[in-house]
Amino acid sequence: MTTTTPLTSDLDLFSDEALTDPYPHYKALRDLGPAVHLTRHGLWFISRYEQVRSALGDWETFSSGRGIGLNDGFNDAWGSALINMDPPAQTEQRKLFTDRLSPRALRPVAADIDRRADQLAADLVTRGSFDAVTDLAQDLPVHVIMDLIGWPTEGRDQLLDMAAGWFDSAGPACPRTAASVPKVEALMGYLAEVVAKENLVPGGFGWTLLEAHKAGQIPVEGAIGLLAGYVVAAFDTTISTISSSMWLFARHPEQWDLLRSEPSLVPAAFNEIVRIESPIQVFSRTTTREVDLGEGAVIPAGARVLHSYGAANRDERHFPDPDRFDIRRNPVDHLGFGYGNHACAGQGLARLETHAVLKALAARVQRIELTGEPVRALNNITRGFQSLPVRIH
Amino acid sequence: MVHIEVDGSRCDGFGFCEQAAPEVFGLDDDGVVTVLVAEVPDELSEKAEAATRACPVAALRIGR
Repeated sequence: MTTTTPLTSDLDLFSDEALTDPYPHYKALRDLGPAVHLTRHGLWFISRYEQVRSALGDWETFSSGRGIGLNDGFNDAWGSALINMDPPAQTEQRKLFTDRLSPRALRPVAADIDRRADQLAADLVTRGSFDAVTDLAQDLPVHVIMDLIGWPTEGRDQLLDMAAGWFDSAGPACPRTAASVPKVEALMGYLAEVVAKENLVPGGFGWTLLEAHKAGQIPVEGAIGLLAGYVVAAFDTTISTISSSMWLFARHPEQWDLLRSEPSLVPAAFNEIVRIESPIQVFSRTTTREVDLGEGAVIPAGARVLHSYGAANRDERHFPDPDRFDIRRNPVDHLGFGYGNHACAGQGLARLETHAVLKALAARVQRIELTGEPVRALNNITRGFQSLPVRIH
Repeated sequence: MVHIEVDGSRCDGFGFCEQAAPEVFGLDDDGVVTVLVAEVPDELSEKAEAATRACPVAALRIGR
């Protein structure tokens, strides 16, 4: 006879406490079973590596078509955005991104990114003490990447806050989600205005979307949604990756020494940073049929399922000693960028930016030290910092 | 011997497969993955499998 533990939990993964340090909760949920029903928000949580990877690779069962946010308002508002689509329509629209974002397409801009990162690193070494979020991590996304998108220079700063609001607005019904609504409305209005006035630099990434819209390939909401894909995804994710790298290396000086002595480890270090502090922690799908994940975890059809990149990337079933930051690990199959047909289209750009910053700093900096208490930017979807005071020398 | 199944329409040209197993994978002039060997010899099969796992967009699969 077998006994089954009910695979439920009343944990609130979106509380300040859980968002500040989600990892013990993730471990408890992974140990409970391959899927756990979170009664607080009526969501199923998938947290083990193999199951998250399988779900992401199986869009026919785990569909994005009913939205990937955790509330209906978000999913209705962004219903025609690429992230909320399934193949075959998603496959076609995705090409509008990937044609511009493939490593081959990005090759001509790599030198610009390296140059900007070098200058930035040199300036910061001179300053000594600074905020790793506002003075370092935000620099490349706000300047170089917005140039590539072809975004007008004025108004870039307000996009930072709007983008964070966009991620929060994908959360479950809770005060944090409600508080983000005005920011998202402002973002939507801003994007609509930019599209209506065609206020983008010809030839930039954004221009491609305008042209696709004008050629009748995508509706105006589609163009706005895709443009949001660029400006939202370009910010918080890369900013949090670069901020987290400073935080991790400040706390693990021996890993910094290793990187300095072997700069060829930069790509491996990048993978490890995205694994251990995944900038996007969670998104969701809906099941199109009943799914049996084993160990008594049977998810009904039509259920909203959270797949946690953050939890899967710390799964001890796949990554030995998962809480240890080790830049030699080179976890090339981490899920920090998702996996499958919705895998992050901008990951090539994120790599260029973070590689450039790490290389430039490793060539000049012996030590990274925290000079004050880091302040987390608590967000329903992303994990990063609001402020991270550091000193480098 | 293992055989690699490729879904070229999914390939975004990241090239992680080529970095992981350059004997088995390459990118063509359009930046799309090509498999350089019809059948992967046994001594390369482990490397080829690791390379298919590194594909972020699930464009590669191992067949037997």
